[in-house]
Amino acid sequence: MSKTTSQNIVCTFCASGCDDLQITHDGRTVDSARNGCAISLSRFTSTKESRILKPLIRTKGTLRPTTFDRAVDRAARILNSARYPVLYGWSETSCEAISKGIELAELVGGLIDNTTTSCHGPTILGIQDVGEATCTLGEVRHSADLVIYWGCNPIHSHPHHTNRFTIFSKGRFRKTRKDRKLIVVDVRRTDTAKLADHFIQIQPNSDYELLTALRTAIKGEEIEQDSIAGIPTETVEEIADLMTDCEFGALFFGLGLTMTAGKHRNTEAALALVRDLNYVTKFVIIPMRGWFNVTGANEVSTWQTGYPYAVDLSQGYPRFNPGDTSAIDAVARGEVDAALVVASDPVSHFPKAAVKHLLGIPIVTLEPKSTPTSEASEVVIPSAILGIEASGTIYRIDGVPLEARRVVDPPVGVRSDVEILDAIIRRLRRLRGRR
Amino acid sequence: MPELLIRNGYVFDPLNGIEAEMMDIPIRDGKIVEKVGRRARVLDASGMTVMPGGVDIHSHIAGSKANCARMMRPEDHSKDPEPKTKNTRCGVGHTIPSVFTTGYRYARMGYTTVFEPATPPLKTRHTHEELNDIPIIDKGCFTLFGNNWFVMEYVKQGRIEELAAYVAWMLEATKGYAIKIVNPGGIEAWRWGHNVRRLDDMVPNFDVTPREIVRALCKVNRLLNLPHAVHVHPNGLAEPGNYQTTIDTMECAHDIVTETHPTMHVTHVQFTGRKGWAWPDVRSGAPEIADYVNAHEHVSIDPGQLIFTNVTWMTADGPAMFALFKLTKTKWFNADVESETGAGVVSATYKRSNYVNAIQWGIALELALLVKNPWKIFLTTDHPNGGPFTAYPRVISWLVSKEARQRLVDKINKTARTRLNLPGIDREYTLHEIATITRAATAKSLGLQFKGHLGVGADGDVAIYNIQPAKVDLAKEYRAVRKAFARAAFTIKDGRIVARNGEVVRSTQGRTFWTRPQVSEGMMKTVTSDLESKFDDYYTIRMANYPIEESYINASHMISTSAEV
Amino acid sequence: MADLVITPVREFRIPVTAECISPDFFAGKSLREVELTEVWEGNRRVKLGSLFKLEGEIGRTPNDCAVRIVGDVSAVRRIGYEMTGGSIQIDGEAGMYLGERMRGGSIAVNGNAGSWLGTQMRNGQIEVKGNAGDSLGGSVRGGTRGMRGGVITIHGDCGAEAGAWMKNGMIRIKGNCDVYAGIHMKNGTVLVERSCAGRVGAYMTKGKIIVLGNMGGVLPSFQFEEIRSSTKAGEEKIPGPFYVFSGDVNEDGEGKLFTRVSDNSDLKWNERFIER
Repeated sequence: MSKTTSQNIVCTFCASGCDDLQITHDGRTVDSARNGCAISLSRFTSTKESRILKPLIRTKGTLRPTTFDRAVDRAARILNSARYPVLYGWSETSCEAISKGIELAELVGGLIDNTTTSCHGPTILGIQDVGEATCTLGEVRHSADLVIYWGCNPIHSHPHHTNRFTIFSKGRFRKTRKDRKLIVVDVRRTDTAKLADHFIQIQPNSDYELLTALRTAIKGEEIEQDSIAGIPTETVEEIADLMTDCEFGALFFGLGLTMTAGKHRNTEAALALVRDLNYVTKFVIIPMRGWFNVTGANEVSTWQTGYPYAVDLSQGYPRFNPGDTSAIDAVARGEVDAALVVASDPVSHFPKAAVKHLLGIPIVTLEPKSTPTSEASEVVIPSAILGIEASGTIYRIDGVPLEARRVVDPPVGVRSDVEILDAIIRRLRRLRGRR
Repeated sequence: MPELLIRNGYVFDPLNGIEAEMMDIPIRDGKIVEKVGRRARVLDASGMTVMPGGVDIHSHIAGSKANCARMMRPEDHSKDPEPKTKNTRCGVGHTIPSVFTTGYRYARMGYTTVFEPATPPLKTRHTHEELNDIPIIDKGCFTLFGNNWFVMEYVKQGRIEELAAYVAWMLEATKGYAIKIVNPGGIEAWRWGHNVRRLDDMVPNFDVTPREIVRALCKVNRLLNLPHAVHVHPNGLAEPGNYQTTIDTMECAHDIVTETHPTMHVTHVQFTGRKGWAWPDVRSGAPEIADYVNAHEHVSIDPGQLIFTNVTWMTADGPAMFALFKLTKTKWFNADVESETGAGVVSATYKRSNYVNAIQWGIALELALLVKNPWKIFLTTDHPNGGPFTAYPRVISWLVSKEARQRLVDKINKTARTRLNLPGIDREYTLHEIATITRAATAKSLGLQFKGHLGVGADGDVAIYNIQPAKVDLAKEYRAVRKAFARAAFTIKDGRIVARNGEVVRSTQGRTFWTRPQVSEGMMKTVTSDLESKFDDYYTIRMANYPIEESYINASHMISTSAEV
Repeated sequence: MADLVITPVREFRIPVTAECISPDFFAGKSLREVELTEVWEGNRRVKLGSLFKLEGEIGRTPNDCAVRIVGDVSAVRRIGYEMTGGSIQIDGEAGMYLGERMRGGSIAVNGNAGSWLGTQMRNGQIEVKGNAGDSLGGSVRGGTRGMRGGVITIHGDCGAEAGAWMKNGMIRIKGNCDVYAGIHMKNGTVLVERSCAGRVGAYMTKGKIIVLGNMGGVLPSFQFEEIRSSTKAGEEKIPGPFYVFSGDVNEDGEGKLFTRVSDNSDLKWNERFIER
């Protein structure tokens, strides 16, 4: 087949939503990719590696190839007999698939949770207490004269962030690097920190104190300590002044804030700080989310159930309380008796206690590539890679929805998550005697 | 599809001049027909009121800001869970219901068409994802234009025809239904933490005024022959006294007359209908506004009735939300959208004892009672800003019964009571007028030919209520009226019974209406080329990825208009 | 007082939600009726009688009901939900949401208790001999109203965010407390007899937090007031001397923190603010 170049392809790696990729292919294999960052380009060109090519069922202790129908049937039976199953993952698949997941979770009466629970769950909990002053990324590009990266390292995690949206970008009102100041707050001098106009090296696990002190300074109140989080109070006050004196400030934050001591209270403090700043100037806050559709998972879950993650549908209506209804905690307490995992690898990422229990219950995995979770599963159904082999909607970090389009065919016999989940739902309905 | 015959009900069909006539309504293949055969299923509506299915012209049910609100308010949901049933999916309700619950709750009240009144173009794919998921009702969304960079630049340059072509391009790209303007210019000023208050204030960096933006878009609306008026949320929402801006906004387009419908629809006027300089002193500007509406044919309004309960404010008017948040000190969500618009969400509670809340409650009712022509004023609560849409039956009871509203008047803040005109108004709506403001007039305003009436050819959307018109004294039996409208005896959608006695018995997929004005090739070429030259500078997504394909929408229903450009 | 003894018949792994285990629900019912009551075990409805053995008598009114649970009910949620009178005694481990929205009566746990104990409690007494989890006496997700009356006593340690959004009432922790005790407090008293892990009183606007051991530092949004020789927790006088702080200044708060001078050498630097 002759080669063609697909334009304006949306990258499905980091949630920055770069959508100007050019992919050259012959309909089956990607030949080359341009305009993306190095990680994204390798994602497009390495689709064939470690692929699961056939559905697998564990028979006599070993995963053996089987037919799609048998795998679907077994998956449906596992979920049908479970009393408290968890449906987990969802951050690297399409909104359409997530919608099917919620339908399935409601049907079987289980917990549906996504990877938010282990990354930006704290952000959402903070928003539920304070709210959030935010904007789409283009507004930052056009207007921000002060950019803060707190507890994140975009040079590595979101490689095009600085040139598309912040210090190296060109906006209507800020045209060059000189038009913007960069502050980086981190526990060590990262590659992003090296670009900063002001680098604040903070003592580990004391972000909460620094955020609190900044709020106090912005309020014009006196800070009685000589230093906060290892930083002299004078410096804290200088940073506060930079914040109040800017015309449009943008604070980006990552796991350095959400996953260190204080967790959702850290993000609450950051959200409250930005809210307070809006009394004196214009300021926004945007989380740096990792998985390319974790925002989409939150959105779909919220509009369909009212809650963004950790949704318990076991009692016929949605309930939400992270710590109780979150997958990691329910699994760690040994409460869950079956798992459906979609585009995620909890065996690698969950804490030890949770992994221990997970390995003792039947797992159904939908996954393009072999992972420790798929290796430990009862049923594995290979899925197409979203944005390369399957189409679907994703949400960028700032809530802008994009259509991730299929560029090449998946390997023969490999289906999209939507198709697989749909098949499981239909099989389940037949098992339960419904249309 | 099967045939259905609704027999012996008292039919109210204001668009066809029918009031409380005992008639049969035959439906086949989802449409109202002359007659049906003997094998038709018969629905006995004896002793009951039969109306076209409700048409809600303004209710924030879907999209980014609604979802931000849901995400921010888990405490709102936990109070009001909806368990799944044989026919329905589970969900949550209260001020911001989840999508399945939204469709069911509208259907239970006999509503069959609802419009989301404000969608930010860049995120409208999200709006459609949610609309797709809302069961039963037909729907659509209004695309926001009042703070859009391309719009303001065309307005500045005086290029109205190109602006029209741009709006046409955008309506098709976003699959939107109508032009929506929210706080024109103000949300752009909010980029810098500022706002715009009056029609002739200058929008920073764009050198245009709200007046110019509104007038230009009204002209565009006419050039494109769009089915609905320009839908406007005026400047000044968070000012204590703002009624004059509302009147000025209506007046600013009085010379731009459209033959088929009013030029402008001003929405939730209760929020911009206050008189006075400071909050402790605000009064009702309803009489002045009503006088204006009564005297002019180019405008229509809806009140955005306030209900004394916990609510969620959500609007594209970001600066107004922050201003009000500073008064409530609750939770505040803000989401500006690059080059286009914004959004704000705040949680709030209206109390009878609160002076300002009581005045606002009164303003909304005064508007509804003082505007004489029910074809010019529509029933809304600006859900969820004034109150949840499930409160419509309560509002109906206040409109049909002075006694009902007087009971509440006696409980509100004393000073407010003495300053409102409401206690002195005796008017009571008739059922015919209620049918008008909840379905006939709204469908007509939207230009939906097949909605809001029961004539041959109309969609088979019917609501049957447990009210016997001849026997019931609406004013005295307002409780029964409220109950009847809260739980329709039957709701029929496209000729199928979807709800019975307030229970959903069948879940269906509703259509999404959108408008495509047919603009000349040459003009479209000019505008597309303008867009291409600037798109990458203005947006952080590629122009090729901006438009939403029709296949994205589950049951797309395009309405084509022929434009004069 | 009629005594009803409830014993789990097996170990529960899958969570059980049983709001009906409450004097208010039991009052006036027969044993059989109670046994037939359905509760959730995971996604199945099961009869209470299939999970528990029930013996004894049930009183006619809530105040006449004394319920005793013997065994591990750590997987059972919502025991004592909205109860208005009577008593529940748990001889074993108690689960989450114990005594949520309680309005009266008493709950005693001879063991540990889970998180969200006494959420939105209005009145009554809860006493836990062992440790308690996070968010005791707090609010629901996204809510701003915590406990508004009654007394919670924990003999052991407790988790984070004790007394979150508290409006009134008394919380007494005899052991140690994790971070954020009294977070968003509006009023009421939290007394910690040993130490806190830190960040006490974040966002508080009113109320009183007393820490007899080490407070884990003080947030930058609190201001030193004075050293006081004693203070009161309810009616009880507690000898100091105490460092006294007020805040949270970021919320225009007037809450007060009292912590013993003897156990907080890391706060000695505040003494330079004492007016001589």
